[in-house]
Amino acid sequence: MAAAGLPASTSGAVSSVRRFLAQNGLIGVLLIMPLAFAFHDLRTEGDLSRLGNNLVDGLSNGSIWALVAIGYTLVYGIVELINFAHGEVFMLGSFVSVSFFSTIGLTVATGIPGLVAGLLLTLLVTMFALGTLNTMIERVAYRPLRNAPKLAPLITAVGFSFILLNVGLLWRGGSQRSIPNLIDSQALLVSIAGVNITRGDLLAIAVTIPLVLGMTIFISRSRLGKAMRATAQDPDAARLMGINVDTTISATFMIGGLLAGAAGLIYALYQTTIWFFQGFTAGLIAFTAAVMGGIGNIRGAVLGGLIIGFIQQLSDNRIGSQWTPAVVFAYLVLIMVFKPSGLLGEQTREAG
Amino acid sequence: MSTTQDNLLEATGITKRFGGLTAVSEISFSIPRKAIVSLIGPNGAGKTTFFNILTGLYKPTEGRVSFDGTNITGGRPDKIMALGVARTFQNIRLFGTMSAVENVMVGAHSRMKAGLLGSILRPPRVGREEREVRAKAVETLSYVGLRPALHDQLATNLAYGDQRRVEIARALVSEPKLLLLDEPTAGMNAQESADLTRFMQRLRDDVGLSILLIEHDMKVVMGVSEHVTVLDHGEGIAAGAPSEVRNDPLVVEAYLGKQESERQRQESGEG
Amino acid sequence: MRAASTAGPSFRDRFELSHRVRVGITAAALIAGGLLPLFVDGGGGFIDDATVALAYVMMALGLNIIVGFAGLLDLGYVAFFAIGAYTMGYFGSLFHITANGGEGVHILVAGPAAQLPGLHFNFFIIIVLAIAATTIAGMLIGLPTLRLRGDYIAIVTLAFGEIVGRIAINGDEIKFLDTRLTAGRQGITPVDKIDLPFLETFNSLELRPWYWTAFVLVLIAVFVNFRLRDSRLGRAWIALREDEVAAVSMGVPQVKTKLLAYGTGAAFGGVSGAFLGSYLNTVNADQFQFSFSIFVLAMVILGGLGSIWGVVVGAIALSFINNRLIPDVLNDVPGKIGLDFDLTELSFGIFGFLLVIMMVLRPEGLIPERRRKIELKAGIEGLVVDEDTEKQP
Repeated sequence: MAAAGLPASTSGAVSSVRRFLAQNGLIGVLLIMPLAFAFHDLRTEGDLSRLGNNLVDGLSNGSIWALVAIGYTLVYGIVELINFAHGEVFMLGSFVSVSFFSTIGLTVATGIPGLVAGLLLTLLVTMFALGTLNTMIERVAYRPLRNAPKLAPLITAVGFSFILLNVGLLWRGGSQRSIPNLIDSQALLVSIAGVNITRGDLLAIAVTIPLVLGMTIFISRSRLGKAMRATAQDPDAARLMGINVDTTISATFMIGGLLAGAAGLIYALYQTTIWFFQGFTAGLIAFTAAVMGGIGNIRGAVLGGLIIGFIQQLSDNRIGSQWTPAVVFAYLVLIMVFKPSGLLGEQTREAG
Repeated sequence: MSTTQDNLLEATGITKRFGGLTAVSEISFSIPRKAIVSLIGPNGAGKTTFFNILTGLYKPTEGRVSFDGTNITGGRPDKIMALGVARTFQNIRLFGTMSAVENVMVGAHSRMKAGLLGSILRPPRVGREEREVRAKAVETLSYVGLRPALHDQLATNLAYGDQRRVEIARALVSEPKLLLLDEPTAGMNAQESADLTRFMQRLRDDVGLSILLIEHDMKVVMGVSEHVTVLDHGEGIAAGAPSEVRNDPLVVEAYLGKQESERQRQESGEG
Repeated sequence: MRAASTAGPSFRDRFELSHRVRVGITAAALIAGGLLPLFVDGGGGFIDDATVALAYVMMALGLNIIVGFAGLLDLGYVAFFAIGAYTMGYFGSLFHITANGGEGVHILVAGPAAQLPGLHFNFFIIIVLAIAATTIAGMLIGLPTLRLRGDYIAIVTLAFGEIVGRIAINGDEIKFLDTRLTAGRQGITPVDKIDLPFLETFNSLELRPWYWTAFVLVLIAVFVNFRLRDSRLGRAWIALREDEVAAVSMGVPQVKTKLLAYGTGAAFGGVSGAFLGSYLNTVNADQFQFSFSIFVLAMVILGGLGSIWGVVVGAIALSFINNRLIPDVLNDVPGKIGLDFDLTELSFGIFGFLLVIMMVLRPEGLIPERRRKIELKAGIEGLVVDEDTEKQP
């Protein structure tokens, strides 16, 4: 054995503990809050119905975050850019949808068939509008910087997020606006063992699942989807294979915008209040979800969205909603410490 | 196996796995003092991975590296550098936005003492240290043959061959005991390669440096090295003096591919 | 891209000045800056804005060390402003009103503060405390980012900035012993005025002493920036920024060097925060929002990442746009409290627009650093230096 030299590699026990923590630490961290509150509920109330309600509300919220998170994860996967403006695109999704359904005359009094048809139309219009907007942002603010240093598009993304924020501010003012509760979102549909499922929950699930499924199929089957995956893996090789990388990237932003638009509509109907600042926190929450699931991974984004939705609901309900951003961001930091590659992610170039 | 006293670097049973892929397998290797030894093998044979293990960028999955009597297995790259192992990179990795002199001064980082407060207040000893290191950087750049006019040029603006020179100077300025060169003649013409070969010999004979060379140019390898190790698919397939290695059938096969070497064998058998 | 590559060099070539001219301009600007208060109303709006601008310059110079020199994209710089300001609030106000049985604790203070309850420390002591607190905070925030690169660092620092901001807003709910952690949105007010030896305690009617104090602090900050840039440490930062693998292979210790960048950069924010806490006479949670981090980052980028004079110019320009131009043009709320991201303005949009235009047309900034002609390099691909974990499959 050599004389005292550099600290040699850690002993077997320590490194196996480290490996265990690296693999399971994140799951452990995620379970802290639910477990703590489960014990608390069992002790004080004797059943888990409160936790169950948190879970249902959390999943509904989480499905909104999942839709937004997919936008982050797709864009990051393909151009390695955190699209800071994405939260604001989501916010504008709410604004566009509310303006549209007000314009076509949907009110609380509209009958069920008219309401369904009108909302479907609103959904389509909103998705299309936001998809187009997102594509345009890419064209103006990111594409000119395709070969620029990595920091440059991140800054333009922040810049566009501010611009859109200001658009929202000018559009509907600086305070929270309530909007017509078209679907009576808190109305009880069914109650199972004290766990209430409302119309809003149904809406969130009913819109999210088909969208996510459709998009997954699109990406795995369609030509454009394959081009997206190829470009994400290696843009230069994709270009050599005859893939039009610019079009593919535009399509990616389009899909991200479509889903953010849908999320905006669900959010508006579910929460029944909208304001220009909703996108800031939502964007950060959704990005946290994408990172948690493993950035670049669509299934991961959905899983991360649902988990973050649950955590957020727990925090809103038990700790106080004014602390929720801090709780979510604390989770984000912990994820970065324990497993930068996320729950389902591979080791990426970024996160060693 | 020879004793540690004779050898500057001793690597035993080095294995590196990335997930399921074994990049380097069970390599044992030693570098004598004041010697030039080479590591050759086809692309993807694990040469650079082995380099990265020696310099601390990777931790070996198994095995042990000792340098100058000190165990450096899995040590931090900067600490290994401070002990006297300096390197260059296969694709030149200079600090593009720094001048040639500044690049070389970074190489002297581990030999300098100025800390945060020293850097801000710059007491006389820090000022002296700066001047000395700068002078030494200039001297080293001249030693590797960079024209003085280019010393204050930004690294990215230098020609390819000059970038190679700066990189070698950056490694040399720390006065290492062992210099690791990763394909230093890549992109050089025959004349430049010959110059570099002479330069390496000068470093060994005048400065007393040991050099570990990864190289594809067989002329350089055979001309300069005392000992050659051949890697293929992460395994050591041959080792010995250049003349022995050159005719080893396994080595020929590794370089030319199995079918090709069999064909050659058949042809020579038939003919 | 096309625009950037053609407009950049030609613009620069046209304005490339000789060394002597540049030194002359710099000296003239410094003298003008120092004498400025003699020619304006000592209680007016202009000197008020100028003083705030100088405080922002200090922060921008701190962030420049982290982002410009070391290349660590920090989106949570507001945390250090907050910590510095709260240090001022804690040790120079009525906030801890019950301290010492209501008698207060006074260390080297004269003037009205010497008679008040609460903690009242000399401004120099508070500056030292603020430096200590922010340096430690900077390093703590830096720790989880050490294994990460680029965008991930941005997100973690952003998260920390937001956590600190949230604690500032909601800290009035948290009590230990018998004081609240912060005063939330109401703010800690009044805050002690700066009280320097041999001078009268500063007051809010005569702003010249405040200006000169900030001016001296900025001079020190510029000096420290230059000294650090041309030192062993500065070279190590730039080396890490350029190529992390090459830097550690050349003997630069990654962890220590990065933490020093975070800690040093944060300290500037702490000093500026303490100064602003006293000058604005309030430590208010609404000051510490994400947009402020972006505001400071915009100053650094507008001026030219890593370029010391550029950052100074960028910070002055943006704070005047924010505090004077926008309020005047829009005939809107007067810009007394530093940032008027007060949700009724266009400043968001104007900043956003500036950032986009700036990055698309001139990614290297107004006065680019010589080094920046080559621009920031993207993250290092391929090799990954892993300090303490095995590669996971």
